[in-house]
Amino acid sequence: MTAYLIRRALQMLVVLFVSALVSYLIINIAPGGPLAGLRQRVGTSTSQISEDDIARRRAYYELDLYLPYRFGRWLIGVPSGPIKIFGKTLFSDHIVGCRKPVEADVMDDKGEFHLVTVGCNEYVTMADLEGRRTSKGIVRGDFGTSWGILRDRPVFGLVLTRLPRTLELMGLSILISLMIGLPLGVYQAVKQYSSFDYTFTFFAFAGSSMPTFFFGIVLILTLSVLAKNAGLFWLPPGNAVGVREYFVPMLGTITPGSLLDQVLHVIMPATVLVLFNTAFYSRFVRSSMLEVMRQNYVRTARAKGLIERVVILKHALRNALIPFVTVVVYALPGAFGGAIITETVFNWPGMGRLFIDSLGRNDYPVSMALLLITAFLTVVATLIGDILYTLVDPRIKYT
Amino acid sequence: MAVASTERRFDLLIRAEALPEPEKEWLIILRRFARHRLAVASAIGLIIVLTVSFFARSIAPYTATELEIGNAFATPLSSTEAGRTHWLGTDHLGRDYFSRIIFAGRITLTVAFASVLGSSIVGVLVGAVSGYFGKWVDEILMRFVEFLLTVPTLPILLILSSILIQSPELIPVPEFVINGLSAAMYIAPREARQVVMVIIVLMSFGWLTTARLMRGMVLSLREMEFTEASRALGASSLRIIVRHMIPNAMAPIIVDASLALAGYVITEAALSFLGFGIQDPTPTWGNMLSFTQSYMFQHPWLPLIPGLPIFFCALMFNFVGDGLRDALDPRLKR
Repeated sequence: MTAYLIRRALQMLVVLFVSALVSYLIINIAPGGPLAGLRQRVGTSTSQISEDDIARRRAYYELDLYLPYRFGRWLIGVPSGPIKIFGKTLFSDHIVGCRKPVEADVMDDKGEFHLVTVGCNEYVTMADLEGRRTSKGIVRGDFGTSWGILRDRPVFGLVLTRLPRTLELMGLSILISLMIGLPLGVYQAVKQYSSFDYTFTFFAFAGSSMPTFFFGIVLILTLSVLAKNAGLFWLPPGNAVGVREYFVPMLGTITPGSLLDQVLHVIMPATVLVLFNTAFYSRFVRSSMLEVMRQNYVRTARAKGLIERVVILKHALRNALIPFVTVVVYALPGAFGGAIITETVFNWPGMGRLFIDSLGRNDYPVSMALLLITAFLTVVATLIGDILYTLVDPRIKYT
Repeated sequence: MAVASTERRFDLLIRAEALPEPEKEWLIILRRFARHRLAVASAIGLIIVLTVSFFARSIAPYTATELEIGNAFATPLSSTEAGRTHWLGTDHLGRDYFSRIIFAGRITLTVAFASVLGSSIVGVLVGAVSGYFGKWVDEILMRFVEFLLTVPTLPILLILSSILIQSPELIPVPEFVINGLSAAMYIAPREARQVVMVIIVLMSFGWLTTARLMRGMVLSLREMEFTEASRALGASSLRIIVRHMIPNAMAPIIVDASLALAGYVITEAALSFLGFGIQDPTPTWGNMLSFTQSYMFQHPWLPLIPGLPIFFCALMFNFVGDGLRDALDPRLKR
């Protein structure tokens, strides 16, 4: 087991490194980026932006460094200047980037012009890196600073402000979905082909076919807009807390930030996620239960004369839950990564919406941080699932 | 008299009415499918949707991009001065909503079917190669698939989509594909290129489950006698894969593909909804829904109209897939 865990941990590191590398490359090689708008303005005759301005901006975004160095600085905070050993300074003339690239319109074989970097006027050397603001590298928990959403503030702090809201929403909805989905699936399997089973199978299909964004909009439309216009009990349509006092029939005036205010805000987004997750969980448990109930040991348990409740709960359910474990562990990355679509629809200030915002505003450090956190938790969840597997099923042994 | 083959003997027995006539396989499948009422209803519904999308030009009273300046947010069933009716009203730019829904359906369904076709082909080939050759080929391919399966999908899809929509020249696509699609969907080639990019994005993660499914099937088919027999007869690996493995693994692949269609409809709509998919002048149900968000407080019917087809199409694809699984499941075979 120990050997297995060590091997898995090493594999995890490799997977994480590869996914960090790939996502970093995808994001950085992509055209556009934070300077795209600037370049267009330079081309015009009334431009007030000098080449030095652009060089400064490029340095700010570290775009003047070559990709491997940029990646190294982002990942482990190296290189941060010339290497100093025994009082000697090494590699101080080593070129790590280009401050003022020469760009030219080059015609390709189709006769279209493209802006291509053809040379370099001024290089960046290792010595220039000294004194530059640098992150300690994400390996040491420093995710760098934000470029746009909260400029120059640490990404980690930004994430921390969003995390509680996501944990609140996701935790609540996953808990409720489990509480509904598990017994529902079990009961459906026990009463297979009953009208109860058919009804909830239909609901499960509907729940998994219902796009979360559409269901969210329908809820806002009915429970917020129409209900409020009709003078009925209504729910606030967006955000996690109210901005100012508001009046809800039956409950009276609600002060923003109070518990009741937060509860009212979380109801609709949680409902959307609960419907989706419950549909998924109940279908999974149902089919897993059906599989188990066909097994011989269940028949044996019945033949022994055990009461049905014991057969189902102790013999069938415990075995049916084994594959369910591997599904439930993925709630972990979900709980931290947030629900991108639902949070967007309900304007929920969580991690999912932060990701969308960061993509829209080219705030790459934030996007990368969120991607990596989710990837890390997914890998951890997979490992936890495998370990739990051995605990719930003694037949499985890892070597 | 020459020795009759087994087939010939059966034939003789059937002619002598000593054996009942064998039922055609597809008839058995059809009858089993028909037992799933919701699947049949969904299949009929889908045929209607597909027909409407196919004849979009004849059915839609307007084109998708025809503007009526000053007639934004017309209510459903309202008529213009020229005497034409907007069955579902107009959107925020005064474009006929009914026509846009129909053209959007054509585009959304094209995207879904193209993605499912593409990812099934890739998945089947990768899975078959991986399962048939085994050893290091299998090791490399399956590690890669597992790696991609652990990656959180939606964030990556959003990034890929935003990159490819902004600069579609990153992936070269043959001109005839673009022109063909642009003619098929009645949109400009530039917009068709966008549609192709979205299809590629959807495919990029879509083939993974198919590949694993196919690999599992091939692993068991490889051990069957008929594979051994054809190998003994000197058939090449390519022939065994194409003539024996793929046809025999078709049933679960078809079920998987029909269920995947539901996923593609929703994912495409989600990308468009979040603004990272097909962009505005080209109508899709997702981006139509996205635009209504700003106006739904004044015009509450607007979001319902593009949202319902997304939901119903996904639901119908799911039911048809479920029905096909019942019909094709070999465990239930007589």
